[in-house]
Amino acid sequence: MEKFVREETEDTPEIVFDPESGIFKISKISVPENALEFYAPVLEWIKQYAEEPNIQTKFDFDLEYVNTASSKQVIQIILLLQKVAEKGDVRVRWFYESIDEDMKALGARYKKLVNVPFELVEIDE
Amino acid sequence: MAVESGQNLFEIAYPLFNRVDDNDFEYVYRGYFDHSITKKILFLADTNIAKVTNQSQATLQKRIYYIMVEGLQNITIHQEEIANNREFDKYPGIFAIQKNGDKYFISTGNIVANDKIESLKSKLDIINSLSPEELKKIHREILSNGSISDKGGAGLGLIEMSRKSGNKLLYSFERLDDEFTYFYLQTLIPTDASFGSEQHGSHSSLESVKQLHRQMNVDNILLYFNGFFNQENLLSLLAIIKSRMNMPLTTIKISNVMVEMLQNIIKHGSKPKEGVAGISGLFFLGQMGNETLLTSGNIIPNEAVQTITERLEFVNGMSKEELSDYYDDILLDFDTADAKKTGLGFSDLRIKSDKPLKYKFLPINDNEQFYLLQTSVKTKK
Repeated sequence: MEKFVREETEDTPEIVFDPESGIFKISKISVPENALEFYAPVLEWIKQYAEEPNIQTKFDFDLEYVNTASSKQVIQIILLLQKVAEKGDVRVRWFYESIDEDMKALGARYKKLVNVPFELVEIDE
Repeated sequence: MAVESGQNLFEIAYPLFNRVDDNDFEYVYRGYFDHSITKKILFLADTNIAKVTNQSQATLQKRIYYIMVEGLQNITIHQEEIANNREFDKYPGIFAIQKNGDKYFISTGNIVANDKIESLKSKLDIINSLSPEELKKIHREILSNGSISDKGGAGLGLIEMSRKSGNKLLYSFERLDDEFTYFYLQTLIPTDASFGSEQHGSHSSLESVKQLHRQMNVDNILLYFNGFFNQENLLSLLAIIKSRMNMPLTTIKISNVMVEMLQNIIKHGSKPKEGVAGISGLFFLGQMGNETLLTSGNIIPNEAVQTITERLEFVNGMSKEELSDYYDDILLDFDTADAKKTGLGFSDLRIKSDKPLKYKFLPINDNEQFYLLQTSVKTKK
């Protein structure tokens, strides 16, 4: 499957989905005005990937800021990863800075709401 | 005390909002000035100016930029003269840019030692007495002799500000105590059309900046923005907060809350009128004791008042646990495909804010109301 790559911008995250090298990562900042529009192709890609995923998928979120509009798109991604898990092994990691209780809380919320191995990983500054 | 001050902002917000026309803006930063904050202020101002100027006004835009740079450098030069940082905490300076019709005003206010006033005053008076040709000559002389005035080229900066604006420099001194005085400096920059014909900036405008500064000192406002909001200046404001705050944890919280508040304005405020670059609104960031108050104000149509009130009362009426459960429900509710109706905004604000969300509506005409919203984030060290 073709790689999916988005460079980070001032208000949208850096995204790398590369099945060949096994890298699946969303990082930096996500505060776009129109989260729906930005995430539509992202969700579409994962939907297709879910048809024929790698044996193992390690999926990393390493986000600094997430606005509420994006948070709703992020849960859609995680729900799609649940689908991926029907055909392969999925492990989601949610990174947050040790001082950032809001990102920790958001990660904990996702972990609670979805049924997929989900690990909260604290990073020290 | 804190409650009173927050309410005070609700009182002053609309008169301030009302004095700024649709395509105008005023933006004031108050606090300590360093390289990083200076850069961000320039960026935000430039972004806003670019939105309201057109190609043919490229010279104007450059001229404004240049004068802002000189003004900000002036502040930092004066800051360096005063070694004791505590004085800056006691008497924070300000930088203001205001667009009023076809005029721009760049104002700075900062402390100087009382014994510097005389030399500063005579320098300004000399510059103001010179013709453009004389200024040009002096400028050249200083450059070639390298004999720049007593400290770090402040004199040259003032000359340049006067030359680039084609105007006299307005100034004012406000004595603070035995040691220090606030030094206010204002440059009026006319648009290209009227450039060259000397314009006397209204003293009322410098007075209004001084008054604003006093008000911001009273309410400890660090950032005040009054104009049009769009995603671009939201990001610039965010960058300023990031470098302004030295407490990382609080910064993250404040940034999150600010993004939601301002995006709320951008999404739900009355649609911008033809030819206006964004949604008109106002935003204050202030600190009261151990809390940071974020206050926004914008116009909404009458019919939105009830919905907003209901939603705010709804989130204010819930315990944090109930709210958290509600948040989960909304997060998993994908039926509302409309991006505008994530419905998470207020819940998120309430969860992150340490107090119930404060709000107020002021009817301003038959169809619209001015909507004020205030959130509070506890400062953690």
